[in-house]
Amino acid sequence: MEAQELLRRVVDGDQGAWDEVVRQFGGLVWSVARSFRLSSAATDDVVQTVWLRLAEHCGKIRQPERLASWLATTTRNEALRVIRGQSRLSPSAMEDDTVEPTASSIEDLVTDDDTLRAVLIAFAKLSPDDQALLRLLCAVPPLDYESIAEVLGRPIGSIGPTRARCLDRLRRLLPAGLNPKEELT
Amino acid sequence: MNPIHDDELVDLVGRALRTVDPVPEHVLDGAMAAWTWRTIDAELAQIVFDSAAELTGVRSEVMERQLTFQVGGIEIEVMVVDGSRLVGQLVPAMATTITQANEERTISTRSDHLGRFSFDELLPHPVRLTVHRPHDGRPPIHTVWMVF
Repeated sequence: MEAQELLRRVVDGDQGAWDEVVRQFGGLVWSVARSFRLSSAATDDVVQTVWLRLAEHCGKIRQPERLASWLATTTRNEALRVIRGQSRLSPSAMEDDTVEPTASSIEDLVTDDDTLRAVLIAFAKLSPDDQALLRLLCAVPPLDYESIAEVLGRPIGSIGPTRARCLDRLRRLLPAGLNPKEELT
Repeated sequence: MNPIHDDELVDLVGRALRTVDPVPEHVLDGAMAAWTWRTIDAELAQIVFDSAAELTGVRSEVMERQLTFQVGGIEIEVMVVDGSRLVGQLVPAMATTITQANEERTISTRSDHLGRFSFDELLPHPVRLTVHRPHDGRPPIHTVWMVF
């Protein structure tokens, strides 16, 4: 079902439609929030704030087809508020207890897929900026470059070239001979 | 060996991240429960000033978070004191009941004739304030939900 129709049903009071919105866009909000490297408690607060905002705002969204973009922007704004507001008072809002994949934690990974494991090990070696960009690029449903540029606070024209360079860096970190087609079929 | 194409690589990273860092169940449950808080007709006061969003300018010794919400000519100014209390003022001044709510609890206070109010407690996030206006028969004003 299209976001437009879902939102119309939500405004009409259909809880099932709301749950469907959460199922469809929950991963996207999570990806954007996680790209800011907040503590897990602060990430939860930001994500919940975004959903509460949508609940109170859903009747007023003028372009329902832009829901993904609205969610991304709202998540970014609230994450920045937490970073700029709370971190000055207490550093606890910043990353401390997050399960950011690191070389050591990947050893305990709950995946026996060697390709995914290799990708995660390579991902963990990337810079925070590259990791943030990749999280946004992998969001489901996908975010357009305009939304990604807004979340990152960068010009839209820079996203394509930055994506290419970031993927090159990731590719160089992957073990030689990695062949996803073999592993994943 | 064929190199992995860009789109294929993005797809792989997405699958890897969703395996190791999926949306936690409690986060999805929370998002679904947020629906009960939808306010279709209420007046919603938006943030028009947030000291945490001001990157430039003089940052004084005072680190207290200050926010202003606004709707229909009414402003709700609040400041977080010591990270644990909330003081504020309604402009124009209004003596009325103000509530602070999160998804579990609601606490209430009164503003005085100058519109000043305070909460000795800051509830766990996210929270919102509600200004009740029974005296003029108008619907309450909610601030947007916030992480203070």
